[in-house]
Amino acid sequence: MKKSNATPQTRAEYNNSVHTIGRIFTWIALGLILLVPVAYCLSAKVLPDGTALLKSLPFLFGYLAIGLVEAFSYAPLLGTAGQYIGFITGNISNLKLPCAINAHTVTKVQPGTEEHEIVTTIAIAVSSIVTTLIIVIGLIPLLIFQEQIVTVLNPIAPYVIPAIFGGLTLVLLASYYKVAVIPFVACIVICVVGNLLGFGASLGQSTMVLVGMAISGISTVILYKKGKL
Amino acid sequence: MVESYAVIFVLGGLIALAIIGMSVFFIVKACRRAKQIGMDKKLIKDSVRSSAVFSIVPSIPIVVGIGILMQSLGIAIPWIRLTVIGALQYELIAMDQAKAALVGTEASYETFIATATVLMTLSILSGPVFNAIFYKKYQGKLASLQEKNGKLMNTVTGALLGGLLAGMLSSILVGGIFTVGNPTTDASGAVSYGEVTLITLAASLVIMGLCGVILKVFKQKWIESYALPITILGSLGIAYAFIAAGLF
Repeated sequence: MKKSNATPQTRAEYNNSVHTIGRIFTWIALGLILLVPVAYCLSAKVLPDGTALLKSLPFLFGYLAIGLVEAFSYAPLLGTAGQYIGFITGNISNLKLPCAINAHTVTKVQPGTEEHEIVTTIAIAVSSIVTTLIIVIGLIPLLIFQEQIVTVLNPIAPYVIPAIFGGLTLVLLASYYKVAVIPFVACIVICVVGNLLGFGASLGQSTMVLVGMAISGISTVILYKKGKL
Repeated sequence: MVESYAVIFVLGGLIALAIIGMSVFFIVKACRRAKQIGMDKKLIKDSVRSSAVFSIVPSIPIVVGIGILMQSLGIAIPWIRLTVIGALQYELIAMDQAKAALVGTEASYETFIATATVLMTLSILSGPVFNAIFYKKYQGKLASLQEKNGKLMNTVTGALLGGLLAGMLSSILVGGIFTVGNPTTDASGAVSYGEVTLITLAASLVIMGLCGVILKVFKQKWIESYALPITILGSLGIAYAFIAAGLF
């Protein structure tokens, strides 16, 4: 601590040290996650069905592709440490990112600054701790009252996302309306056409978030080059 | 109830500890960095407090998700699956995929769980593996773009956020409109009414607007840190009231 105070790191040095630690934690988490099916198979003395796994390959590749696209797209928003934590703990678009945006709004830090990066890191890390603890605490009542808890709380589960994003829209509208108009109109058209053609179920929130980000990225660069932003 | 083995609980405990350890480590590191660059301590305190309060309500559906998955997989595996990257909808689809792929075979229930767990685990690996191998290089490119043209990078970052918002809102709005009078049931068994979706969205906008009025007009600065949690709780309360009253 004393040493780091005497010779402050540059931003690049700090960033490099975050990458090193983030990579180590990611490999540790991956090892533990991969041990789960192995431990289950050894405990239950069974093997997964190879034919069923082969049949599931298209499904598997689809999910792997989504994961890669998400890693690329969320990186500029999550910051260095946030990206490592977010891609181990998950719930990025519905919890971690809104939580970080809320922290940015409260602290009024400017995008692109180191303060912004630090606030993002703290928000995502705190959110991960809170969620992990709530899940652990929730296991006890779940073991006793599983049916009652699911009966009471499951009916409102589909409405958590609208509850978060209604308020968040109002917070972000002033800052992002210029860049959000084109993707919003395009996404509405895609969703309406998709629903009319009968494949509305495929245009869920996770799909539309990626579609919106892609359209927004492209349209914003075009507007920027034309000097309209 | 489906059997959960002690070793899986131990692994779940280790994963929870690893996540908490990693998060604490990054918080400490960020705080030290904040001190180095002379950042106001109040910003750190506000970030911690607002993030902790914000995360409580959206975490509860994750616990409910474990309750839904534990009917098929026991409690330990869903606990781990929903603690790490993954979400209830993804896990349910992966589970259904394993079930469908085993139809017509004489596979035991344990074989089904093993197959589903392997599938769930493998399908979430690409994001973390990308981070562990390529992210540093990718972030380096983003950083050099930021150096060369900071304004463009900030605009693109804002655009990604605007796009996320646009995608999410359009899906909620159009999904809500198309399910008015035509409720849908998702894989978890939860029934989604378009009317309640739209009412919740509108309530969330109105409550946040009211918080803004309290902040700006009545100069109640304390509400700034709690506006979003209050909005989420308030609009979910309204949604629950409509469902409990059996209006749809």
